[in-house]
Amino acid sequence: MSSPADGTAKKVPTYCYQCVAGPDLMTVKVVDGVATEVEPNFAAAEVTPSAGKVCVKAFGLLQKMYNPNRILTPMKRTNPRKGVDQDPGFVPISWDEALDTIAERLEAVQAKGPNDDSGYPRIAASFGGGGTPTYYMGTLPAFLASIGPIDFGFGSGQGVKCYHSEHLYGELWHRAFTVAPDTPNTEYMLSFGYNVEASGGVCGVKRHADARARGAKRVQIEPHLSVTGACSAEWVPIRPKTDAAFMFGLLHVMLHEQRQRLDIPFLKHRTTSPYLVAPNGFFLRDPATSKPLIYCLQRKRAVPFDTSDSDPALEGTFKVSGIEIGADDDAWEHRMEKVQPAFQKLIDHTAGYTPLWAGRICDVPHKVIRRLALEFIDHARVGETTEVEGRELPYRPVAIALGKTVNNGWGGFDCCWARTLMACLVGALEVPGGTLGTTVRLNRPATDRNLSVKPHPDGFMDYPMNPTDKAGWLAKPDVRNANRTLIPLVANSPWSQALGPTHLAWMQQQQAPEHWPQATPPDIWFVYRTNPAISFWDTTQITEVLSRFPFTVCFALTNDETNHFADILLPDRTDLEGLQLIRVGGTKFIEQFWDYQGFALRQPVVEAQGDARDFTWIATELARRSGVLDKYVKAVNRGAAGVPLKGEHYDFSLAEDEAPSVEAVWDATCRAASAEITDGAEDQGLDWYREHGFRVAPFPRVKWYLYAAIEDAGLRFELPYQERLMRVGKQLGRRLHEHGISWWDEQLEEYDPLPEYKNYPEMWEKALERNYRVDIRDYPFWAVTARSMQYAWGGNAGIQMMREVAENVGGHGGVVINATKAAELGLADGDLVEIRSPLNATRGRVVTRQGIRPDTLLMIGQFEHWATPYAKDLELPSLNKLVPMLIDLTDSTGSGADLTRVQVNRVEGAR
Amino acid sequence: MTRYVMVADLERCVGCQTCTAACKHTNATAPGVQWRRVLDMEVGEFPDVRRAFVPVGCMHCADPPCMHVCPSTATGQRADGLVTIDYDLCIGCGYCAVACPYQARYMVEQPGQAYREGRMRSETQRENPGRLGVAQKCTFCSDRIDYGEQHGLTPGVDPEATPACVNACIASALQFGDIEDPDSNVSQLLAAHKHFRMHEELGTDPGFYYLWEDR
Repeated sequence: MSSPADGTAKKVPTYCYQCVAGPDLMTVKVVDGVATEVEPNFAAAEVTPSAGKVCVKAFGLLQKMYNPNRILTPMKRTNPRKGVDQDPGFVPISWDEALDTIAERLEAVQAKGPNDDSGYPRIAASFGGGGTPTYYMGTLPAFLASIGPIDFGFGSGQGVKCYHSEHLYGELWHRAFTVAPDTPNTEYMLSFGYNVEASGGVCGVKRHADARARGAKRVQIEPHLSVTGACSAEWVPIRPKTDAAFMFGLLHVMLHEQRQRLDIPFLKHRTTSPYLVAPNGFFLRDPATSKPLIYCLQRKRAVPFDTSDSDPALEGTFKVSGIEIGADDDAWEHRMEKVQPAFQKLIDHTAGYTPLWAGRICDVPHKVIRRLALEFIDHARVGETTEVEGRELPYRPVAIALGKTVNNGWGGFDCCWARTLMACLVGALEVPGGTLGTTVRLNRPATDRNLSVKPHPDGFMDYPMNPTDKAGWLAKPDVRNANRTLIPLVANSPWSQALGPTHLAWMQQQQAPEHWPQATPPDIWFVYRTNPAISFWDTTQITEVLSRFPFTVCFALTNDETNHFADILLPDRTDLEGLQLIRVGGTKFIEQFWDYQGFALRQPVVEAQGDARDFTWIATELARRSGVLDKYVKAVNRGAAGVPLKGEHYDFSLAEDEAPSVEAVWDATCRAASAEITDGAEDQGLDWYREHGFRVAPFPRVKWYLYAAIEDAGLRFELPYQERLMRVGKQLGRRLHEHGISWWDEQLEEYDPLPEYKNYPEMWEKALERNYRVDIRDYPFWAVTARSMQYAWGGNAGIQMMREVAENVGGHGGVVINATKAAELGLADGDLVEIRSPLNATRGRVVTRQGIRPDTLLMIGQFEHWATPYAKDLELPSLNKLVPMLIDLTDSTGSGADLTRVQVNRVEGAR
Repeated sequence: MTRYVMVADLERCVGCQTCTAACKHTNATAPGVQWRRVLDMEVGEFPDVRRAFVPVGCMHCADPPCMHVCPSTATGQRADGLVTIDYDLCIGCGYCAVACPYQARYMVEQPGQAYREGRMRSETQRENPGRLGVAQKCTFCSDRIDYGEQHGLTPGVDPEATPACVNACIASALQFGDIEDPDSNVSQLLAAHKHFRMHEELGTDPGFYYLWEDR
């Protein structure tokens, strides 16, 4: 680190992890103690998929650090009244006063017991950015672990703005919390709103550019011509929220017109396609072993699925005997009953989903749908293999990617199922060139998705469903969004609470659903790197709820819309000022699969501004002052800061009876990391990492492809037929009905073994009409949003340079409307308009483009700030204010979609 | 002979503006001044629309109109093709900014600041009074080129000798090098791909090439 006037110029290695498509390594040039330039880390060019580069967001970090609007000393609220219209009256206080005030509250909570009278944790915490705050919060996780339980269920975007259905179904089917094409090897991609050029990070952008250069074709299917659409070979402007119909049309062509070209061996032996389905919809099973049965064409009889040398039938109807086990162990015995393989059920199920049918729903020529299905099969190279590190694997260079609003909310299940099934039909799931998962967050271990492949007795992968049986079901929610009670698929990992249904936590603060107690506000709410007051839906309702939270602690950069409601503001050291070691490489979110894995250091490039303190110092002091220091240090030693400090060959554990310094924590962590990566042979400490920035070791590429682990374990992908989900859904329905709860019945309908298309656009229209008593014809536009590379996950709307450069990219100036449609309405570029949904209204300037459907409006990013300095003057509209939180528009996984109907009107007199 | 040129591959560029931001850092340009930026262009009518991202800046023309109109000889040309501005000679008349067909020149009268609440340390540290009241534009990071040549490095290949926008480009869309060297990266790219130059009809012989493909 440079001191303020030492007359030196140096480049300091560190990392940027502002978005989920990170981390990316970089250096910061420091001249005379002042950070002046962000640059790629050229030393990392060979070991990172991003070639050591960072995206535009990283360049905003200088202004983030030096922003004159920063809060640089702890503050406390002096106005006890909270509200948008209330001046918080923040006044500076010392760190001692701030931390002691929080510690007193914590001790009071501990004295009362961890849960309140409603059974909910008294302490809550919200973090944004898809988990990225973890890479900036030092040892705060260890502190939280020492004061638990914590309610992490108040979301700031999770569930409603993430790839929610993909997260859950992806983990179920192929350990894919996020799904990506094998872009380095694929030749053909169908992208349904997957905006990778805006949200795929450096790695995604570079890999897709390389793919284009090698001749790979990508077709972008979405209502507006996004940045990704611009970089694609073809744009198909689909009607919003009809993607499921499009994909069902593709399935129809593959199953009914091109069946002979499918990957039959893959379907027979690596999927559950041959499993026989009994009359009540559950698998027909062997009475002796309860194993699902298949019909062996060689033996001409039904045999358990794992019978060696069997030749399973995929099609046909067979008369066989067996047992059927339903919900809650309901059992039936069948004797010579007519049954069919799941694949035959699938064929029959998709018979009506013709391209003609789909084209009418999607407002896309049916010939386009048929052509794309044929192109997909043409490129699939069914039957070919390739070698990866000595392992022969199928080579299927076709992939399908889904984006936000396609893979969450109603229809998300259909889309995720259809996408994964299409991959299976040509054997392109988890193989080179195909569709891959990149990380796990619900299964364990999180560090290696291959190791999470555990067998289920039925021959596919096991899954940690939340129990729905009578004995195991959690009838009384343990957190305010009731995730374990309502969502079996969300599991119970450290990530599960934050996946929600997060809007339920907010909605319940206003009114509890029938048969549940009124939810309580948390006694203490911690907030870091998130701003739900503008980033969630129905932001007016969110701010009303926030005004009732009794004690809110915000780690604060500047004033913003959420910390406007805070009682204490704590200025932490920003991205370029703090110290932390994180894991890098392996396979992570989006397209971050690396050929290396290891560790990277974030370090202060200059002295911190003002009296901002390192997060690890803050966490340690909070632990010490609230009497949980020993638990906190134990948690650090256990690995809560990212690396266990004790291993088989080493022990760098910290003493549990004294508060460790920031440097001591990270020096021990660095040593443990070095030891971990060298099996105890080396133990370089903090000084080494400060100089070199990162340390990696090779990561085998064969681990990118789960197929290898599936094959080794003799398992199948659990597709196409969702027998397990059907059972779970029926059990959940029984449990809820036993408790008199019927408000989740529509969600229960989604537990279909084979999803049936529902009229999703109409579902939105009817819900809006029903809840707001409007005539939907008065709201003729669909309003959608899109991510922006300049802003996504960055929390950087208050950074001037981001605004300056973002203005070069079309659509950042206001509300995008089709140019011809705008002319019809008498609207011109720059006109101030009000965009009104049945819920609320927002204002913005007209931006006309040809690359958007005439029935669609686009509002990029998340804006409409009213407190954040600089951002509050931007006068940008936001979809968030317009989208309601409604149970009707919540799917069975607990997610919704960024979508509503709106009208647009010129604000008279404004130009 | 050497002539340094920039090559932008329009099939690779995603319009992210990382080059824009990197240029602003490296050259400490004032808010609103973008020596390098990327245009977002749309052609056609719904539903037959194409959208393209086009990096622009000073084209370092071989026959630069900005130089011809400069009354003070402040605008010059190096032997390696770079068009230069001598801030000591520039009188700030702005003729060059008007003459440039690429809108590549800027004039800044006052020290800029990103936030009205105050100047940041990174701004005061990089303050350059010599650039106030005179014309300014992309230099192709000539200081890096000079440093590279002095240290046996190859501009466009070695990062220390390469323009910041090229180094930063996350799509590897921007390339830089000597077009007179048939083995250089840019010569190889131009030999292998269709390409054009902006406003070529004006006869300025710009040193900025765009690669493109039929779709």
